[in-house]
Amino acid sequence: MTAPALRVEGVSVGFGGVRVLEGVDLDVKPGEIRGLIGPNGAGKTTLLNVICGIHRPDAGRVLLDGVPITGKKPSSIAQLGLGRTFQTSQLFRGMTVLENLMAGLYRRTTTNVLAAGLNLRSHREEEERTEEAARKALEFVGMAQFADRPGTALSFGQQRVVEIARTLISEPRVVLLDEPAVGLSLNRLAEFDALLRRIRDEKGVALILIEHVIRLVMDVCDRVTVLSSGRRIAEGVPDEVRNDRQVIEAYLGKELRARHS
Amino acid sequence: MMLSYILLSGVTTGALYALVALGIVIVNKATGVINFAQGELFMFSGFLAWALHVQFGIGYPLTLVLAIAGGFLLGVMTDRIAFQPLKNVDVVSLVLATVGIAFILRGVARVIWGGKGDYLTFPPITSPEPIMIGEIMIIPQQLAVLAGAVLIMALFWLFFRYTRAGKMMQATADNAKAATLVGIRTDRIYALAFGTGTAVAAAAAVLAAPLTLLYPDMGFSFFIKGFAAAVLGGLTSLPGAILGGLLVGIAEALAGGYIASSLMEVSGFVVIMLVLVIMPSGLLGARRLRRV
Amino acid sequence: MALFGRRNVLLVLLAVALVLPAVANSYQLYIGNLVLIYTLLAIGMNLLLGFAGQLAFANAAMFGIGAYGTGLLQVHFGLPFAIAFPAGALIAAAVGLAISFPALRLSGLYLALSTLAFAQFTQWIFLHWEGVTFGAGGFKTPQISFDPLPVSKPVGLYYLSLLVAVALYIFARNLVASRVGRAFVAVRDGEVAAQSLGVDLLRTKALAFGISGFYAGVAGGLYSQALNYVSPEGYDLFQIVLHKAMIVVGGMGSVAGSLLGAGIIIIVLELLRAVKGAQEIVFGGILLVFVLFLRGGLISVIQRYVKGWDEPLHAAPPRRDEPPPLAVPATPVAERAAP
Ligand SMILES: Nc1ncnc2c1ncn2[C@@H]1O[C@H](COP(=O)(O)OP(=O)(O)OP(=O)(O)O)[C@@H](O)[C@H]1O
Ligand SMILES: [Mg+2]
Repeated sequence: MTAPALRVEGVSVGFGGVRVLEGVDLDVKPGEIRGLIGPNGAGKTTLLNVICGIHRPDAGRVLLDGVPITGKKPSSIAQLGLGRTFQTSQLFRGMTVLENLMAGLYRRTTTNVLAAGLNLRSHREEEERTEEAARKALEFVGMAQFADRPGTALSFGQQRVVEIARTLISEPRVVLLDEPAVGLSLNRLAEFDALLRRIRDEKGVALILIEHVIRLVMDVCDRVTVLSSGRRIAEGVPDEVRNDRQVIEAYLGKELRARHS
Repeated sequence: MMLSYILLSGVTTGALYALVALGIVIVNKATGVINFAQGELFMFSGFLAWALHVQFGIGYPLTLVLAIAGGFLLGVMTDRIAFQPLKNVDVVSLVLATVGIAFILRGVARVIWGGKGDYLTFPPITSPEPIMIGEIMIIPQQLAVLAGAVLIMALFWLFFRYTRAGKMMQATADNAKAATLVGIRTDRIYALAFGTGTAVAAAAAVLAAPLTLLYPDMGFSFFIKGFAAAVLGGLTSLPGAILGGLLVGIAEALAGGYIASSLMEVSGFVVIMLVLVIMPSGLLGARRLRRV
Repeated sequence: MALFGRRNVLLVLLAVALVLPAVANSYQLYIGNLVLIYTLLAIGMNLLLGFAGQLAFANAAMFGIGAYGTGLLQVHFGLPFAIAFPAGALIAAAVGLAISFPALRLSGLYLALSTLAFAQFTQWIFLHWEGVTFGAGGFKTPQISFDPLPVSKPVGLYYLSLLVAVALYIFARNLVASRVGRAFVAVRDGEVAAQSLGVDLLRTKALAFGISGFYAGVAGGLYSQALNYVSPEGYDLFQIVLHKAMIVVGGMGSVAGSLLGAGIIIIVLELLRAVKGAQEIVFGGILLVFVLFLRGGLISVIQRYVKGWDEPLHAAPPRRDEPPPLAVPATPVAERAAP
């Protein structure tokens, strides 16, 4: 059995007395795409925030490649190889698309202030490599033609794709994607589906995918975890989860009921 | 110097800082920002009062009322000029705009009312002779200021407690979105907050003028001390602002009386830094959790 | 490359600056020197506020510390200018770093206010630590000479400023186009996203503070010699509006804009030399008008209308989608309502 790339052990979080996560466990294998679904307010984003160090859990811990990361700063955790995107677009507005990608390589580059300011050879070479990698990464997601546009000039869906590229460029071990398909039109969804598969196949990265577009999740994920009211209520391959009564009750059922009322 | 005297003057200036702090808190509570022109609005209102009282010979009580009204208008103008157009842009622009307003007010005051280093005297409200009650020396002027400050605080308390406008301001401060939903026009509330905040500052200025004299640079140090007081009190609490103001005033009087009088000028900075060092994650450091 | 490309324009400006001592009278040379000094201040301010997004008001204090440091090291310890000058700048950078640590726990408005209070505190030290700073009267700086170079003191000083300004201009240009500059902009545009890429907030902000302090300190050292005199007034709160106005007029997030802003503000300042009140009104007004109506500064106009200017894009486009970050920690409504 391979060691998990990411392991979450008994994580609980409360905000001002309200329990948002209650003893959540999660194991993600290297190269796996894990879906994370659940109704609004289930605690999915909060779980990502705990994993990447924005929130400190009240109990439990998180391990990245077997190394405990709970309590570390978000930037240190990122340095260890954890990437993520956010529920809202977080492109740097004052940078071009290309520069955004180059910023993604921050943790893989070493130039310091003096080398940069004095434009030393080591800096110039690193900068060239960075730019090349950034262009490649843009090509990988099919956005090369937008390299020199300001990030704000892109559509919302395109911004999300650039963000994914920005995260992937530093070759993290685990990437957390929070509702990346928001803002994508239906025919764009198929492309996005393919992109996720290519990421898994070519990058060998473990993905956690939060998504409300259930079709996408069921289609692309190896396994799916379902959260409801801060608890993990089901986990398994898509077909198992789809037919789980508890899931239908807590999640799909709620939606159905909402639709019929 | 007698301790009782020091304490009394500390409480008196503290009450003035409390008023300035109240102004800062009122604006901050309703809008989430700090008006960097607050100190200059305070100063400018003081000069307005001087013009009314000394140049036009209007009586002190009426001057106080008119200056409060003038302060209110100045505050509403600040809202219209800076806050309304910039509130959805970014906080840097907003602060820079209010800094711009602050310097415009300083310059105007300097051009109209005197050059650097010129102090205008504001005639005392009561006899400047100290009176002795037993061992305790009391300056009537200070008592008058103190009484005025308490009166104004009481008025504002009544305003927030019992008037419709005051209640709506509270509601907006607690939850702007919900306030919009129940039909409160938040834009008006913001204008009202800037107006009220500056009106309090104007009241403080009219009370302070006979004690401190008037000069175009006075606003800044009152602003820093008022901010220190507001921070001590938690920045969103009205009683906290009053308590914070009194503490800053007393601390500064003690430092001035027993250590060196020049220390009084930097009491604001010292308090701000102390709060920072002692309670970095308490009052100040409590980071806003950003939803992502 | 277009005729009015950025590089060409800057080269022409440099050529003009180089021959200026040959054609200018001593007053004009002094103004030229001031523009160079304020360009350094503006670049330092812009790196901190325009690029790294840290709204601080301590720049005037660093300027003063550089001037006092350079001057006092000469007066009290008899150090030559050649040593006192860089040492003064380093002291300013160190103070910049030091204040950044308590200040950086704070964000937004708290940072602004605590650095504003610090600026006032520095003023107070200049005024009241009389044994060292000579109090309100200030002190005369020792005469320096540029022997064995065949130049008079003002000309030598001007060329020194020019050399330093050009070098630090290029340094800043390189810096903002590097990994470090991208980290600055990332922190400004999104702290959470920046951290998710491995950018350490505290270190990056402290770095910006230190660099900006260094630039201000260098400017202070040059200024002390340009005036031949150091007193608290030169570094008072009025400097705050000057520095902010420079980068707002020129363009936040643009190194070339810093130069442009410094030039314009110094010329306006000279025109208004006589009336302090008018200076305050005009600079306050300039700040307000630019923030309200031309947030990109003049450089954004040049960028739009001058073909081939090719300014790198680093200004933060305004956010229209989000209200300004609250100064208050957002407590859940339910909690606030509780008595
Ligand atoms: N910083 C915070 N402070 C207080 N409460 C929070 C905070 N962040 C999240 N919550 C609460 O925690 C609960 C879970 O939120 P979370 O954002 O994790 O849900 P989610 O599953 O991501 O939902 P969605 O599908 O809508 O994104 C919600 O009730 C939310 O209001
Ligand atoms: Mg979510």
